[in-house]
Amino acid sequence: MKIFVTIIQIALLVVFYLVGDWLQRLLHLPIPGSIIGMLLLFICLLIKAVPLKWIETGAGFLLTHLTLFFIPVTVGVMNHYQLFAGSGIFLFFITLFSTICVMVSAGLTANYFAKRKKKISCQKHSS
Amino acid sequence: MSEALIIIAMVLLTVTTFFLMTRLYQRFPTPILIPILTSTAIIIAILLSLRLPYDTYMTGGKFIDYLLGPAVVALAIPLYKQRIMLMKNMVSLIGGVLVGSLAGILTGLWLAKGIGVEKMLVTSLVPKSVTTPVAMNIATEIGGNPSLTVAFVMIAGIGGTVLSPYLIKLFRIDHALGQGIALGSASHAIGTAKAFEYGEDAASVSSVAMTLCAITVSILAPLFMMAFYA
Repeated sequence: MKIFVTIIQIALLVVFYLVGDWLQRLLHLPIPGSIIGMLLLFICLLIKAVPLKWIETGAGFLLTHLTLFFIPVTVGVMNHYQLFAGSGIFLFFITLFSTICVMVSAGLTANYFAKRKKKISCQKHSS
Repeated sequence: MSEALIIIAMVLLTVTTFFLMTRLYQRFPTPILIPILTSTAIIIAILLSLRLPYDTYMTGGKFIDYLLGPAVVALAIPLYKQRIMLMKNMVSLIGGVLVGSLAGILTGLWLAKGIGVEKMLVTSLVPKSVTTPVAMNIATEIGGNPSLTVAFVMIAGIGGTVLSPYLIKLFRIDHALGQGIALGSASHAIGTAKAFEYGEDAASVSSVAMTLCAITVSILAPLFMMAFYA
């Protein structure tokens, strides 16, 4: 029974994805269809056009196995290994280093604002 | 008939490998053993040793790949559940994403151009921190090769996710917001999957950061390319 519910709910999520994809092609948007579908579903949840319980089980299933759905794309790296052979290995390290810079700078900036906010609200409470 | 067999075999190979690697990671939760890395490596090793090309793998792989779209749509649920927390923290979110996007584009451009990499490779590398379909769009727009971009996006996703626990500890990113935004900005959806380990609030800010990053990089990357190659 639960499998049945999960499948129907995933089908509903696929519908949102297809509508997002269709909108993207229709309007030539630079954002991918899946993200447009996500925004559409978010709006539908906000205006209560779609109740949470209609999709929660299916979405939970997809999100727990989120990494699985990436594997076919990541395996595609096998077609490009020659890119990183020889001096191309520098490209690998540049990508990694640049990724570290993004992670640390984005994380520290957000952390700073989040903690400053906490401090301000604490001061308000104590005064 | 043999076509159907290959499809079933490739789907089974992917799902079984992922299932076993997830069990391994649950038993030994070290960053280097994250299932996406170990599963990818094992599947590539199996395909290479059987001399099966990627296209053959994808006859079955595409069915798993197809679920990626609805899975991204499903990220609307943590977004919805955490909407009040997200609205309250808009400043951290936008600030973190802007700084992160700039850092990614600038370090990528400077380093790659600095060591004299040809322009086509630089343009394929620049959008690496963004989710795959958007990164491919950006690469095409600035004159890169989208299929090479996928390789860089995967390095950013997997590499960033493997290194994230060390970086978060080393730089004392101790707030759930900082952790989620770091993962989403640098390692897109692979990072977001990892952010679920830090909790639902980290995962939802991560998915928002990923989306915002896709938007800011698509605007900033063409501008910086013009400035650097004027």
